[in-house]
This record gives sequence, structure tokens and C-alpha cells, in this order.
Amino acid sequence: MSKKSLISFILIFLTCYSIQAQRYIDGFVYSDKQEPLFGVAIIIKELKSLGTTTDEKGYYKLRIPDNKAYTLNVSYYGFEKQTYSLKEGEKGKIDFTLKEDVTKLDMVVITGTRTPKLLKDAPIVTRVITQEEIEQQDATDIREVLQTELPGVEFSYVMNQTPSLNLAGFGGNAVLFLVDGERLAGETMDNVDYSRLTMDNVGRIEIVKGAASSLYGSNAVGGVINIISKESKDKWNANLNAHIASHKEYRYGGSVGFNLKGVSNLTNIQYTSSAPIELRGDGLNLIYGSHSWNVKEKLSYSYNDIFKITAKAGYFFRERESAEVAHERYRDFSGGLKGEYNISDNDDIMLSYTFDQYDKSDYALQSKLDIRDYSNVQHILRTMYNHTFRKKHILTIGGDYMRDYLMTYQFVDNGAYIQHSADAFAQFDWNPSTHWNLIAGLRYDFFSATKLHYVSPKLGLMYKIKDWSIRASYSAGFRAPSLKEMYMSFDMASIFMIYGNANLKPEKSHNFSIAGEYTHKYYNVTAMGFYNLVDNRITTAWNAALKGMEYVNMAPLQIAGVDLSASAAWDFGLSIRVSYIYTYEYIQKGQPLTASTRPHTATARIAYTKSCKDHRFNMALNGRFLSKVTSDEYTSLTDYTQTEKVTYPGYTIWNLSFQYAWNAISVNTTINNLFNYVPKYYYSNSPFTTGTTFSVGLSLNIEKFFKQK
Amino acid sequence: MKKISSIFILSLLLVFCCSCNGILGSIYDNKPIADESTGQQYGFIEIDKANNSGTIYINASDYMQWTYVNLHNKTIDIKVIDTANVDAQTEPQDWDFALHRYDVKTNKGAVQATQFATLDELRNSGTRPDGSGFSVDTLGNVTVDMSGMMDGNIKLVPSSINRILSQWLDVNTSVMPPIYTLSKRVYFLQLANKEYAALLFTNYINEESEKGYITIKYIYPY
Repeated sequence: MSKKSLISFILIFLTCYSIQAQRYIDGFVYSDKQEPLFGVAIIIKELKSLGTTTDEKGYYKLRIPDNKAYTLNVSYYGFEKQTYSLKEGEKGKIDFTLKEDVTKLDMVVITGTRTPKLLKDAPIVTRVITQEEIEQQDATDIREVLQTELPGVEFSYVMNQTPSLNLAGFGGNAVLFLVDGERLAGETMDNVDYSRLTMDNVGRIEIVKGAASSLYGSNAVGGVINIISKESKDKWNANLNAHIASHKEYRYGGSVGFNLKGVSNLTNIQYTSSAPIELRGDGLNLIYGSHSWNVKEKLSYSYNDIFKITAKAGYFFRERESAEVAHERYRDFSGGLKGEYNISDNDDIMLSYTFDQYDKSDYALQSKLDIRDYSNVQHILRTMYNHTFRKKHILTIGGDYMRDYLMTYQFVDNGAYIQHSADAFAQFDWNPSTHWNLIAGLRYDFFSATKLHYVSPKLGLMYKIKDWSIRASYSAGFRAPSLKEMYMSFDMASIFMIYGNANLKPEKSHNFSIAGEYTHKYYNVTAMGFYNLVDNRITTAWNAALKGMEYVNMAPLQIAGVDLSASAAWDFGLSIRVSYIYTYEYIQKGQPLTASTRPHTATARIAYTKSCKDHRFNMALNGRFLSKVTSDEYTSLTDYTQTEKVTYPGYTIWNLSFQYAWNAISVNTTINNLFNYVPKYYYSNSPFTTGTTFSVGLSLNIEKFFKQK
Repeated sequence: MKKISSIFILSLLLVFCCSCNGILGSIYDNKPIADESTGQQYGFIEIDKANNSGTIYINASDYMQWTYVNLHNKTIDIKVIDTANVDAQTEPQDWDFALHRYDVKTNKGAVQATQFATLDELRNSGTRPDGSGFSVDTLGNVTVDMSGMMDGNIKLVPSSINRILSQWLDVNTSVMPPIYTLSKRVYFLQLANKEYAALLFTNYINEESEKGYITIKYIYPY
């Protein structure tokens, strides 16, 4: 063999050897519900730069450079990480089934910091309600979900059957409701229209209790509830669903979505109707019937994770049969545009514009005239910039502008007022080590109507080690007086006048909290103590000089309590969670309001889930307990000296639900109020139940009929 | 696809940015304006001479007044209540029945409730009142000032009231706001001269859904 031939032989041998040494593995990654998971990371632990992600069918293919043994890490947010020991020379098909992480600690949350964070790393205590939990409840709007999942939440009725929230001592205007980070226009009796917040397109709900004005400005006095909408991840999807319940309650909905070449779209439509409900006990004896339409559209285009633009539009209509000769109508038109640009690995910027218009009108059935008497129109511009230092510290700076227009029958001659507000904020998220996290924020707000300047700080500290984490925070909250509270001049059924007050000071709160969390394998325990000092809360009080009610600021009040939660979820499908809140409210006597928050509330859930191939069965028993509350109520509307004790009874309600899903079909059956609790007297804060009722829901995910494993 | 997206986004921007105080105001109706050609907004707004019938529309929103109806002359007359001297309350010379808010009184008349829900049903049935089972007015009170309601001090003045005819609207005040329910019954009104009228109260709101505006359909003489 010549020298030349020998070299050739060696080269050919080496090439063949290298081809032989290289191998491929491929397969699918499914959830424990047998749904393909898109975007799962499969990484070779020893060769960190080597890995791949699954496509929309859950399929992956990975080239292994040699025949050595390796460890594969398979991870996906919201699911338990899996490791796989790849043997020497092993190749071919390897499928994975990932279990949902019931502790949710690997979920991404955004509300506490306005930057995406894993739940376990979020320095501000955040509670997440997942899409799965929402679907299991087959709930129509946010009220059912919050009441079932969280203790300390109570929706009761105020004037004219208007739903009113109490979240551990804070009312509807002291809790900021957001949809994808955007606030909502319109209110009735200080509460947003909760029936707008339907659950058909919701990906998750994040709840941050306590003040949060350093990031969100006005109204974040007692908490923030942020509803994050879904995005289409599949190539295409289509859903049809129906829900029928006792008392002729119907819900029909559908959605279509697609995701093609960076363009993603999701359109939802939902119709609901409920007949009037006659209550047999004393007190409130008729719940009005109503029907509603809700259409939501979300379209986005993203380019290589560098640039993303999202457009949203929505239409909402609700008609309430509040009288036999006239119906009340509520409409909302919304739209928005958001651009997000990742300038570099360390810098990103966001710019958005949102429009929201909430109208109320009266439809006289005989004249067929639909006359509008309320319109709140908000235009909001936002911008935010993030810079990451050394891949772990994040500086956030941003600013917002809002134009708020309000026309209402509660102003003289159905007049209108406009207010401009602007703000700037900064936050630094400092992570000196894996154990410590310090977050500090400051925001400045300006409101044109009262020339109000307000500064809101925040400081949060987290220490975590192994299975333990401790969080402590101070945050400030405020609520600027609304246009309604400043300029109202309203004749209340010839009984009294209600006057606005242009000299109102903003409501403010100082929130201190300390929370400890322990998570180990199947178990999670959290305990939080909180204290709120609230000053200048705005309410109405009798003004002898005006001979009417007037909006005024109250003296300080204090709200303190303990929030406890324990959960366990075992491999064989059983899970249990119990949550409890004790709330103590102290208001000085002689103030127009008296304390009326139920001191003890708890929720409990025991569930069992079993999956087998394409079949999945889930059974859940949900209970909620609200203690009785004794309130010192003033005997006169015009004098705050004499009180009488009034006790509202406590109650416990249990719901039992069964969910069965097979491939594309899911059926949900619920027995509501299992033990047939019926109030003897229907107070405004009684549960408006007539006893045990039933509901059944059906959902078809049409795309699954066409998709095979 | 991208082109459609761009058009969608641009249209959104155009619609919202050019609408400081809101969009789609045109989907609502305007507040009705009184008919300037006749100048008449309240009173006998429809008269069908051929069928002896018509429609009366009354603004009874003011707690301080009675509106007197004269079926023969097809006129209405308003008298303010003199709370200082109720006994000397002036009344028009000729009137048949009167309304104060939802209270009704008659001028020496009497009333019977029928089972008929419309005037056509009554007419088609051929039913005639036989003079029995009629109730005359009795002494009662009417509210002239609600402003002390929250302290339990509603101001009332004495007045005669026809309790049967005043049942045309049930006002359940055990809840706020009260629940209003129409009786949906035709009433026979026997006038002082023993003539009869048939009355059906059909509405208690105006076109803007404000309460205290009453629509009455009538047949007179019946």
C-alpha cells in the first residue's frame, strides 16, 4: 500500500467511524392529560449547549454527537422536570409524559413585578388560579372562580342588585382588576362589571393581595387581580361549548384560533342567559333575569422572539330585566395595540395604547327607545423598559398617560367631565445570590382634576433556602378621587341628594406583610400575616348644611389578619387544599361606615384525577365557609352616634363536580350546594341560592378530532 | 395574512384614536322632544272617536301635585297640594279621576277590577258592568315628601283614595330599589253620573325610562 493510499484509508475509516458514532433520538412529549406539549426543552445535561424543543405536535428530534451515556433533562413551565439516563449507544424513539406541577412553583407570573418571574422566585406573594382549575369549575365569570378558590372573597349585592366585592376588608374600588395588565372602564356602585370578565379565553388569574400602587397607581389599595388571556399555540384550534344549569341558566360559546408563520389569532364568542329567580325566603325575593354577549379578538405577530405586536378588540353587551316596562343595558367596546421589542439579550421595551368604553342605557320596552345615560371612555398610553444587569438584576422604568371621560346621569343635566393623569415609575429587582432577592420601587402619579401629586414606594425582601422561602414587604397604595366622587349631583329617588366633593383627598394605604412558605415533594404550606393602615377612605356621609349625602374622607381604619394555606398532591391522583383567612377590621366609632367583613373564611378542595390513555376523569369537592359577622350599624342615616348590633349568619356551601374528558370531548357535571343550604332571610350578603342545583357542561375541542398522536 | 393583520391593526388605531369621547354613539336613541306642532306632551295623546277610546299620558313624577282627568271634555288639570291647608285643597269643577304618583282617587265614583288584561278582550267578551261589586273611595294618606324616608319621617297628607284602582301598580318597597309590578287588569270606573269607563294602566315610565309617567288606555263611555 502506498503512502497516499494509506492516508486515504485512514480518512475513510475515520469518517465512517464518526458517522457510526453520531446517533438520533426522537419522540413525543405529552402532558399527563395526553395532550402534546409545544415548546418543551430537551437538553443534554453534560453538553449544555446541545438540545432542542418540541413542535406543536409535541414532536422532537435530537442529534447526539457520539455514543456515550448522557443525562437528558426534559423541562416545561408548569410541569415537573424529568430526567432520563440515555444509555451508551441508545437511539430511536423515546416518548415522555410530563406531570403537571401542582405546586405551580415553576409557573411564570408577572403581576407582582411587571416582569416575568417564576412563581418560586417572585418576591411579592402571588396566588395563581390556573386554566385547568378554571375549566374544572366550568365557571362563567370571575366571581365564581374567585369565591371558590380564595378565602376572604365575598361578592354580595348592594343597591339595585349590583354585585359588590369584599376582598379581606377591601371593596371593589380598592382592588384593581386588570385584563392583561390593562384596567377596565366603567363602574356601578364602586365595582367594575364583573360579568365582562368571562372565563372563556383565560389562561390564568394572578392575585396579589395588599397595596401595589408603586407599579399600578390608583386603585391598587388592597390588591390586584390580573386576568391573563390565552394565546393560540396550535397551528389551528376550534372549540364549541355549552353549559346548562338549573333556573334556566344557559351559556353557549365557541372559539377559533390559529398560529401560522408568527401570526397568532384567537377569537372567542359567548352568549349567556338566565331567567329571573324567585327566592322563597324573606328579604330579597327576586333576582332579575338577564342575557349577555361577549366577543373577544386577539391577534399578534411575532418575529423571531425579537419583535411582537398584539392587537385586541372586544365587544360586550348585557341586558338586565330589571323591570317589566324597561330593561337596563350595558355595553363595552374595547381595543388595544401593544408592541414589544427585545433590543438585545439584556434590554426590552414595550409601548401600548388601550381604548375602553363602558356605556349604560335604559331600554323602554313600549317606546323601544334605547337612551344612554352613562359613558366612561378611557384612552391609555403605556411604555416600559427593562434592562438586565449581569443576567440577574432587572431595572424597570416606565410611564403611562390616561384620558378619562365620564358622562353620567349622576351629574347635573347628564353632563360630562374629563381628567388627564400621568405617571412615571422605576423598580429595581436585585438578586445578589440565589438565596436573596430585594425589590424596590417608586412611582409618581399626577391627576389633573385636583392637581394631585402622589408618590408610592415599595420594598420587598425574599430569602429562600432549600424548601423554605420567607418574604417580607412594605407597599403603599392610593386611590385618586374619581370624577363621580368629585362632581356628583344626584337626586336619589326624591329621598335625598348625593353631592360630590372636589376637595377630597386620595385614599391611601400602607401594607406590611410577612409570609413563609415550605414546599417539599407533595406538600406545600404557606402562612402570611398582614397589616394595612388605610386613611382617607372615601365614602358618603350626611351633611347637615347641604341636607344631603356628600362624599367625604374617613378617619384611619386598620385591617389586619392571617392567611394560611396547606396543600398536598400525591402521584396517584389525589389532592387536597385548605385555605383560611382571619380578618380583623377596626374603624373608629362615629365614622359613617362600620366594620362588616366576616372575620373567618375558609375554602377547601379535595380532588381525585385519573388518566388512562385518551381518557381522563376528575372528581372534585369544593367547599367554602364564611363565618357570621356582627356589625354595629348606625340607627340613623343623618347621625353617627347611635348604633345597634346586627348579625348576619354564616354559611357553608359545598359543590361536587365530575369531569370526564375523552380525546376531543369533555363533559362537566356539577351539583351545586350539595347539602341544600337555604337562607331563612335573604340579606344582601346572603348566598342567592334556592338550595341544591345542577349544571352540565359540554366542550368540544374540534382540532383534536383531526390530530392523531 | 400579514396584510390582513396590518389592515386590522390600522383600522383599530383609526377608530379609537379619533374618538376621544367614545365611539358608536349613534347606536343609541336621542331623548324625545315634545311635539311642537301640537304643543301637547301630556293629556289625551290619542283619541279614537269611532271606538270611544284613546290614551292618556300623565306626568305624575311630582309628589306635590294631583293631576285631574276629565273624560267627557278630554282634558287634564294639575293642582298643587297645599300641605299647610289640606282641607282647602282646590279641585277643578269637573273631573272623573285623579292621580298623585301612583295613587288614584275618583270624583264620587266607584271602581271594580275585571279579569280582562286588555281593552280588546273586554270589548270582545261583551261584558257589561252591572253596578254591583264596586268600591267607593275611602280616606287615606298620600306621600308629599320622601326626603325623611331614611329616618322614618315620610311626610304624608290625608286624602281620599280609591284602593281598588290604586292597585294598578304594586310597589314592593321591602327591597331597594322597589320592585314595580303592573296588575295588567282592566278596571271599570263608575262615574258620579252612573256612566261607565274602562281603564287599563299600561306603563309607569316615560320614554327615557324615568318613573312617575303614567300611560292609561280607556274606553269612555263604555
